Amino acid sequence: MKDKYRLNIPRLNILSREKLELIHLSTLEVLRRTGVAVKEPKAVEIFKKGGCYIEGERVRIPENLVEWALRNTPPRITLSDRNGNPAMFLEENNVYFGTGSDTPNIVDLYTGERRITVLKDVENVSKVVDYLDEMSFLMCSGIASDVNSKISDIYHFEAMVNYSEKPIVFTAWDLENLKTIVEMAEVVAGGKERLKNSPFIALYTEPISPLQLAEEATQKLMLMAEKYLPVVFTPCLITGATGPVTIAGGLIQGNAEILAGYVLANLINEGTPFIYGGGIIAMDMATSIACYASSEFMLASAAFTDMARYYRLPMFSFAGCSDSSLYDQQASLEGALRILLSSLSGGNLVHDVGYIDSGLTTSFEQIIVSNEVIGMVRRITQGFEINEETMALDLIDKIGPGGEYLTSEHTLKHFKENWYSELISRVPYEKWEEEGKKDLGIKANEKARHILENHTPKPLEEKLKAELRKIVKSRDK
Amino acid sequence: MDILEEIAIGVEKGDSNSVHALTEKALTQNISVGEILNNGLVAGMDVIGEKFKNNEVFIPEVLISAKAMKAGMELIKPLLAKANVESKGKVVIGTVKGDLHDIGKRIVAMLLEGAGFEVTDLGVDVSKEKFLEFVEKERADILGMSALLTTTMTYMKEVIEAVENANLKQDVRVIIGGAPITHSYAEEIKADGYAPDAASAIDLVKDLLKK
Ligand code: B12
Repeated sequence: MKDKYRLNIPRLNILSREKLELIHLSTLEVLRRTGVAVKEPKAVEIFKKGGCYIEGERVRIPENLVEWALRNTPPRITLSDRNGNPAMFLEENNVYFGTGSDTPNIVDLYTGERRITVLKDVENVSKVVDYLDEMSFLMCSGIASDVNSKISDIYHFEAMVNYSEKPIVFTAWDLENLKTIVEMAEVVAGGKERLKNSPFIALYTEPISPLQLAEEATQKLMLMAEKYLPVVFTPCLITGATGPVTIAGGLIQGNAEILAGYVLANLINEGTPFIYGGGIIAMDMATSIACYASSEFMLASAAFTDMARYYRLPMFSFAGCSDSSLYDQQASLEGALRILLSSLSGGNLVHDVGYIDSGLTTSFEQIIVSNEVIGMVRRITQGFEINEETMALDLIDKIGPGGEYLTSEHTLKHFKENWYSELISRVPYEKWEEEGKKDLGIKANEKARHILENHTPKPLEEKLKAELRKIVKSRDK
Repeated sequence: MDILEEIAIGVEKGDSNSVHALTEKALTQNISVGEILNNGLVAGMDVIGEKFKNNEVFIPEVLISAKAMKAGMELIKPLLAKANVESKGKVVIGTVKGDLHDIGKRIVAMLLEGAGFEVTDLGVDVSKEKFLEFVEKERADILGMSALLTTTMTYMKEVIEAVENANLKQDVRVIIGGAPITHSYAEEIKADGYAPDAASAIDLVKDLLKK
């Protein structure tokens, strides 16, 4: 595990101890007083046995039960790579980035046109993520429109596991499909117990704001808890529409939604590897767009990350995403701000890198540029050492007034600690002209093409590949 | 200021209480329900609707006006049929089966209501049987469907086929929307209209009902 994933400068804390407590206690109040609507009868039964107050589908959760569940937080959730080697320690201030999922469109790398996504695109994104240093995990990015849409989620999983070794966060359309995907993951890991012991997958599922646990989403959460496999339970609350318009109110309601799922998971299996987090999304009240990169959303993510730390649960956060219709200046500035902020707050599993068009389109350029920005930001969050060697007082004295440092041993020894980018331009104007006057987008496009044309991810063993194919085929009717 | 103007201003300001009281007062003054509707309530909404299109006001402000209009509508609704005032049109709307995305469809429904249409919102996860049932029951002029998922948008086609099979196609115009929906998809599945957002959905419905 590289040190770079760890935040080495003070974490950005936006909520004081008192505010954290207040949000926590207010959340308990919502869960006790208002409760949640649970649309899956089996889950209602479990809540009931756990001591909740039930009225039909309405479940009101007592404070003590939430506190009990919060005492079961797993100290560390490890996600492995496809080969079962530890790849991410989701804890404290370790920050990892990955793509998003399920955009219906993609910007074609070769024509520049926005078009509907196909399976090949999911394979290509997987290849690119497999290659990029700063992408630690993979989500499918697009929705494949050229396969049986009832099981496109299964096709996505097959494509991802075939084209990348990195850990996978996936979505599943329903319980049956989820079972199939878990079965495929078990094949790849070499059995149920192996997968449980070193999982390389996490399911993305969610509550429905305001305060509902939908039937299928809950069934999916329950299956992961039964199997003791990692699950992300992330609300997508739109402030002013499906939650209070204020960040505080949104945070409390969203927190109640997550904790309801968390309590359920723990009633099924204590210490289920549960990943906290989610979106408190501001709506643009002129256009009705749910914005992926508003200031308010970024602020809310920082606050949510503080809550995650307070609970000692890993945080599922957002970065590298944009509301711009295309890859442009807006896309890179919004993507970059989100990367900086989620890094400073120490979000653990930070997704949606590559989203433009408010989550409706995937852009390779946005992924590639975000990868650069993440490198740049990691250099910041790495901080710097202060010791005899780095303070260099003897050297300062030796060189003295009017000297130069270019030829000193000390410079040679340390200059490589500075971060260098492949794509960020730092050349004199005329040289830039000579090199073809390329802007960042063009360079990112070229790099993506280069990866696709030259990178061959380590293939999955033929035997496993064939077995996966067989499973997919058996479901494709 | 005449009372109809006052009603219109009450709607514009989103003041439900005053609209309710003023409508009541207007009725005692023997002003016709048609006039109250068109020159009071709808006139107020028209102003707000125009301002919304010009980015002068925002969705919550429009919705609060729509709520105020509803406060007046409640009073005159029972009298409209008797007075032979035709409603601007009836809309049945819902998010299709398997899809739980709610809020975009709700905004469209509420704004249509604000624009003076009678709207029945069937909620989310709506089956074709239920759509048909309500189109018939309400004698709807417009059937609106919302879908935000690639996996559920295909269901819209099934609903349209069901509408055709039930011989309702000439009575009801089908419109569709939702984030992944496009014009060309609407054409492909033979919907009568598509709108990318709520503001244009209102224009779309007005247009379709003019024809
Ligand atoms: C909020 C949200 C949710 C919430 C919904 C909560 C709720 N109560 O509504 C929750 C968390 C439940 C959710 C769940 C899922 N979601 Co979702 N969600 C979103 C998100 C972020 C915003 C949607 C939204 O409300 N926008 C704001 C409203 C106002 O806009 P709107 O709905 O587009 O409506 C406007 C127009 O489209 C139009 N319009 C809408 N309906 C109609 C109808 C007519 C007749 C007309 C004329 C116009 C019209 O007017 C509206 C107002 O201006 C979108 C991203 C996006 N950019 O759309 C993803 C998104 C739609 N979701 C997505 C996915 C994949 C899912 C899940 C499958 C994830 C999963 N695997 O669990 C589940 C599916 C659950 C289900 N069975 O439905 C994908 C869809 C991709 C695709 N094409 O298939 C998106 C695009 C995000 C992504 N890239 O992953 N989601």
